[in-house]
Amino acid sequence: MQDPSGIRKTRTLLPAIYKRAVIDAVIKLDPRQMIRNPVMFVVEAGSALTALLWLQALSGNGEAPAGFIGAISAWLWFTVLFANFAEALAEGRGKAQAESLRKMRQDTQAKKLYLGYDVVKGREPVTQDYLVVSSSTLHRSDLFYVKAGDTIPVDGDVIEGIASVNESAITGESAPVIRESGGDRSAVTGGTVVLSDWLIIRASAGAGEGFLDHMISLVEGAKRQKTPNEIALNILLIGLTAIFLVVCVTLWAFSLYSVQAGGSGIPVTITVLVALLVCLAPTTIGGLLSAIGIAGMDRLIRRNVITTSGRAIEAAGDVDVLLLDKTGTITLGNRQAVDLIRIDGTVMLDLADTAQLASLADETPEGRSIVVLVKEKYGLRGRTVGATESGTGMKFVPFSSQTRMSGVDFGDVQIRKGAADAMFRHIETSGNVVSEALRKEVETISLAGGTPLIVTRNGKAYGVIHLKDIVKGGIKERFIQLRKMGIRTVMITGDNRLTAATIAAEAGVDDFLAEATPESKLNLIREYQAGGRMVAMTGDGTNDAPALAQADVAVAMNTGTQPAREAANMIDLDSNPTKLIEIVEIGKQLLMTRGALTTFSIANDLAKYFVIIPAAFITTYPALSILNILGLQNAILSAVIFNALIIVALIPLALHGVTYRPMTAEVALRNNIVIYGIGGIIAPFIGIKVIDMVLVLMGVG
Amino acid sequence: MDSEHAPLLIRNQLKPAIVIFLFITLITGIFYPLLITGIAQLVFPAQANGNLIVHDGNMVGSALIGQPFTSPEYFWGRPSATSPVPYNAGLSSGSNIGPSNPALTSAVNTRVEALHAGDPANTLPIPVDLVTASASGLDPDISVASAYYQVHRIADERNLSEEDVQTLVTTHIQPRQFWILGEPRVNVLKLNLALDDMTANPVVPLSAIQPDLSLPEESGLRIPDWIYLALFIGVFVVTIVPLGRFMVRVLKGEPHLLSPFTGPLEYRILAWSQVNADDEMDWKTFAIAMMIFSLVGIVFLFTLQLAQPILPLNPAGVGSPSWDLGLNTAVSFVTNTNWQAYAGETGVSYLTQMMGLCVQNFTSAATGMAVLFGLAYGLSRRSSSTIGNFWVLLIRSVMILLPLSIIIALILVSQGTVQTFGGPITVPLLDPVKDTSGALVTTQTIPLGPAASQIAIKQLGVNGGGFFNTNSAHPFENPTPFTNFIEIIAILLIPAALCYSFGRMVGAGRKGVSILIAMTIIFLPLLGLAIWAEFGDNPAFTGLGIDQTTTDFQPGGNMEGKEVRFGIMPSALFSVVTTSASCGAVNSMHDSFTPLGGLVQLLMMQFGEVVYGGIGSGLYGMLVFVIIAMFIAGLMVGRTPEYLGKKIEPQEMTLATIIILIPIFLILISTAVAVLVDPGKTAVFNPGPHGFSEILYAFTSASQNNGSAFGGLSANSIFYNLMTAACMFIGRFGTATLTLALAGSLVVKKIVPAGEGTLSDHRPLFIIWLVFVVIIIGSLSFLPALALGPIVEHLMLGGGV
Repeated sequence: MQDPSGIRKTRTLLPAIYKRAVIDAVIKLDPRQMIRNPVMFVVEAGSALTALLWLQALSGNGEAPAGFIGAISAWLWFTVLFANFAEALAEGRGKAQAESLRKMRQDTQAKKLYLGYDVVKGREPVTQDYLVVSSSTLHRSDLFYVKAGDTIPVDGDVIEGIASVNESAITGESAPVIRESGGDRSAVTGGTVVLSDWLIIRASAGAGEGFLDHMISLVEGAKRQKTPNEIALNILLIGLTAIFLVVCVTLWAFSLYSVQAGGSGIPVTITVLVALLVCLAPTTIGGLLSAIGIAGMDRLIRRNVITTSGRAIEAAGDVDVLLLDKTGTITLGNRQAVDLIRIDGTVMLDLADTAQLASLADETPEGRSIVVLVKEKYGLRGRTVGATESGTGMKFVPFSSQTRMSGVDFGDVQIRKGAADAMFRHIETSGNVVSEALRKEVETISLAGGTPLIVTRNGKAYGVIHLKDIVKGGIKERFIQLRKMGIRTVMITGDNRLTAATIAAEAGVDDFLAEATPESKLNLIREYQAGGRMVAMTGDGTNDAPALAQADVAVAMNTGTQPAREAANMIDLDSNPTKLIEIVEIGKQLLMTRGALTTFSIANDLAKYFVIIPAAFITTYPALSILNILGLQNAILSAVIFNALIIVALIPLALHGVTYRPMTAEVALRNNIVIYGIGGIIAPFIGIKVIDMVLVLMGVG
Repeated sequence: MDSEHAPLLIRNQLKPAIVIFLFITLITGIFYPLLITGIAQLVFPAQANGNLIVHDGNMVGSALIGQPFTSPEYFWGRPSATSPVPYNAGLSSGSNIGPSNPALTSAVNTRVEALHAGDPANTLPIPVDLVTASASGLDPDISVASAYYQVHRIADERNLSEEDVQTLVTTHIQPRQFWILGEPRVNVLKLNLALDDMTANPVVPLSAIQPDLSLPEESGLRIPDWIYLALFIGVFVVTIVPLGRFMVRVLKGEPHLLSPFTGPLEYRILAWSQVNADDEMDWKTFAIAMMIFSLVGIVFLFTLQLAQPILPLNPAGVGSPSWDLGLNTAVSFVTNTNWQAYAGETGVSYLTQMMGLCVQNFTSAATGMAVLFGLAYGLSRRSSSTIGNFWVLLIRSVMILLPLSIIIALILVSQGTVQTFGGPITVPLLDPVKDTSGALVTTQTIPLGPAASQIAIKQLGVNGGGFFNTNSAHPFENPTPFTNFIEIIAILLIPAALCYSFGRMVGAGRKGVSILIAMTIIFLPLLGLAIWAEFGDNPAFTGLGIDQTTTDFQPGGNMEGKEVRFGIMPSALFSVVTTSASCGAVNSMHDSFTPLGGLVQLLMMQFGEVVYGGIGSGLYGMLVFVIIAMFIAGLMVGRTPEYLGKKIEPQEMTLATIIILIPIFLILISTAVAVLVDPGKTAVFNPGPHGFSEILYAFTSASQNNGSAFGGLSANSIFYNLMTAACMFIGRFGTATLTLALAGSLVVKKIVPAGEGTLSDHRPLFIIWLVFVVIIIGSLSFLPALALGPIVEHLMLGGGV
């Protein structure tokens, strides 16, 4: 399964999506569905009313020419259909993804271990230990067994065994991953396939409530609930619609009175009032609101982030503190050797040679970086273990927590390297004196935030290796952008304060938490929250779980443990800690798109008044024709057509979101007011005039 | 406190409501008017008793109340619309004829013809103020130009030389007060008295000043008008900070200048009503206390009016109003609307004025202030549940209003606003006149009363309920250009300063000042439009031989329904201020304003009465707009919207949206009902679109608790009394209660600290955005209705776009 997920491949399905969206748009006309979007429901009711008026006009006694009422009615129906189409289109993308996910999610067989099965380390269950059942009968905390070739039936925690698992179904990553009991790689996901070996797993979710199920329902939009912000906006839109409803209904009474008082003319027609209502009601945002929400979720999924609720995306837009793990996020995974420093007159090449020997068997990244440094700087090739110049067999001394040194012995030569305090002791117990120069070098490196490793040969200091954290390229610029957006970055590290401060300064974070423990992380989050701030963090280990649960936006790495994944409200399938920044941007973009279209929609109304009012009342008060500044022939029809077409024109914006660039709130607001506020006032004047001209060319009116 | 048990909550608040109401009635309804009357009678006896003129030992009238002059040998005053006889001081009234009404043109034409008939040789253009009815019907003055215009006729009739009469006029010119305020003018009664003296004893006055009649014509604002406007703005720039600070100190119970007086008083009232000042209320308790207190006020005021014939202090012997009028007036004053379906001279006794209306002028304003502070607590407290104590805030608000009222009342009295318990006085007419039935009327009955004490709080408390029928157009309510200036200032004094107080309450004065600036940005252009419109000519008068230009000798412009002593700009300013601030006091007849002038008045109210607005209510209304503005703006910057660090979530949006909807629904729906049913339609006075504006204005004014009116509408009917009462009640307490709910919903929230990512709540962009939101919601709701009223009237009258 090289391309199993389809998550990032939706484009190939586009024509099908369009076709389906068109059909769905019609199905969604069902008033029982429409009522969920009150703004568009009002439009539909208006469309139906004008359709009846059209029928009445066809029978010969209409309030206006049948052609006019028919045209208005038709365009009102288009308005509803366009809005439905936008929503269907947004949902369609999700549905297509869900479809491909569901293929992975067939009912599978599960080897359920009998109650009371005794898990013994390293013992693989045999046939008598389990019963083959349907995965749908599995419950939370049941134990089951999988072996190579099995599909893991439900989400769970590995409690015994080690196996390679193909998780491409959810991550899109075809390289197998290792899953084993304990540690940070114990979580498995239902629907993934075991490639080798076996596992005993404790189910962490019942059938149908697993991770994949959750993902399917999310992308499908079936479980999509309106988020608080969407609800709040909806209330405002309903309020505005209610105002316009009252405006239009009372306008009928005002018109009657004006005809009486003026002693001439005819009252405004119901068709015109309905047209006015639909034009004024915030149909642009009302029609696109749910599409914006669905598309926002979709954008997140396409970046391989699964969220447990739309609420979390909105919260992401509000984040003002980002807690970032130093390792892997701010710095490259590990410290690297950057320099060798001679001590007390040792020859540089001797030191390099000794350092290399000391690190040959050191498989840690730090150790390897020393070998690489020596090779690159001093041209000493790495030698394979056992093949030294003296020919004597080498005996490697691994790092132990007692000695806190590692090294190599060959012949009578003892080479050691280790942290400063351990090495000082080693030097002194070997009967040598720790020289002032050595102490000074160690101190210098520490003060610079580096880690000094002392290399000795037979208890005599040869020199110091300078290990240093390497800050990722481009991360500093990222933080500058975040600061512009008003987001503080806080680096979390287990290092001591001095080291942490140095890295923090180099990376340009606003603050750091040194010598971090799970408790101190949790406390830090609480402290920020008590100050009213919204905190986001990433985590993967079980010990991150409390902090993840406390954070407002918590992103767990997919490679993380089950507790971490459960505590989080988002899961990054790519396990990329810097993605948090993208998540924040998506959250902001979602809200901005809503705000921009709301402003645009309301600003549009000003022009529509100028268009419709003179046209509607010209028969009562001819003096009002002065207000027809555009000189329109088919003012009302043009306004209705504009109102319908603008929805279509803005579907791409709704689906892709407004362009987001990091900037301060003040600048963002100013830009959006200019584009969508002032633009929203001007655009309809131009649009309606153009439509009117086209209508005149076509011979209407 | 268990907020689940509403009946218990109500019982708990009933006692303090009654006790506190009685104490405030005692202080503001009895002690305060008595104090002002005492000082007035002692220090300003002439002014307080009506500026009566004693001529040759006889009382011949009041210097402030005009008399009718119809004989050709007397200088004529301005046309008066009172009935049954012009200058009937017993019931002041303007014509209320609209500018587009054909009746106006024909009435003006009749007056022009009468002037020409009296002096056929005179073909000069007639100054407009001489042929347009004054606002009060009692205008004692005419413009200098109008006096000069009549010199030729008088000289002819009396066989005097034109120079002598001209010199007499010149010596009687009253210049602008303090060189800046009002119009130069001539008091007609005094001039005619002097004329009689001169005829009897023809001695040429010594100072024969020849006026220069060839002054360059200026149109629109003259230099004194600009200085006037600058002073108007200057007063606020100077007072906002100290007054705003003072109010915060008083309301928070911190020591202040007047603590030695107010402290013990507050302590006593709270002790007697068994209210613990430290007992904080949640929003429900707060709202219940407010409602009970207001209902006690309505019941009391209703009863007081109905019982006024049998109660003391009723020298004019007025009867009781109908039940619907009584209810309307009670609701009107308790809701701080002060819609007047009654006439002060003939419908309300002194006792009702003092103990009823005056008290409510204090308490309704204080209630608004208390609610505002409840909301301020809601916004400034962090994760709390209580929003202050209604009773404490109420009493302290009264303590702010009382000293300011005393100062303003005394200024008014010193200028001639009456303040006495004496009954109406009767004076002989210099030139007896026939009434509509043909009977000769030889006397004028001038009403008096304890007016100054009530007018001070009526302006200061943004109430607007006048002592006399024509409100601040009446010469006894607003005798001089200076009192006019003071009354304008008094309207906006507290609403403006409260913005600063609010800012301080929520952290920084500038947060409130920014809102004040937003209000002012809406206010100033509309003020400019109104002033420009009122200075303009009425196209319907073209060809009638009328001079409508503005010069140093005449106000010019649209003088129908305006008083000469104020002139155009101060009248337009007053009208815009009073409609912007939910006050409703008027110094000119709004019904007779130009269509655009009327449009500005309507817009000021329809923007939600949030441009300054009522005491407290204006700002809390504006804060609801702020919440909506910040919500949309917050979305546009990509954050869950927040204001002052409080997140705006569905509950806040629901409340804010309903608060905005209430007045809009009330105005539009009740106007629609009124234009469909006969009792609604028949009340209309002016024809065409202007008649529609009258109905729209009535419900706008009632629903937004303004109280001013297009006075032509016959609003004293069961239909209008009940409809407007309902609008006033819901418009006030519906929004106030929901505002408290909003405070309750906000107070429990955390406060998000401001940063680069949060939106500024005070910088220019915020201000502009807020202005945009207020204007757009107001215009979108009312543009269609306005198009069928003032806008089309303006276009039909020949005005351009």
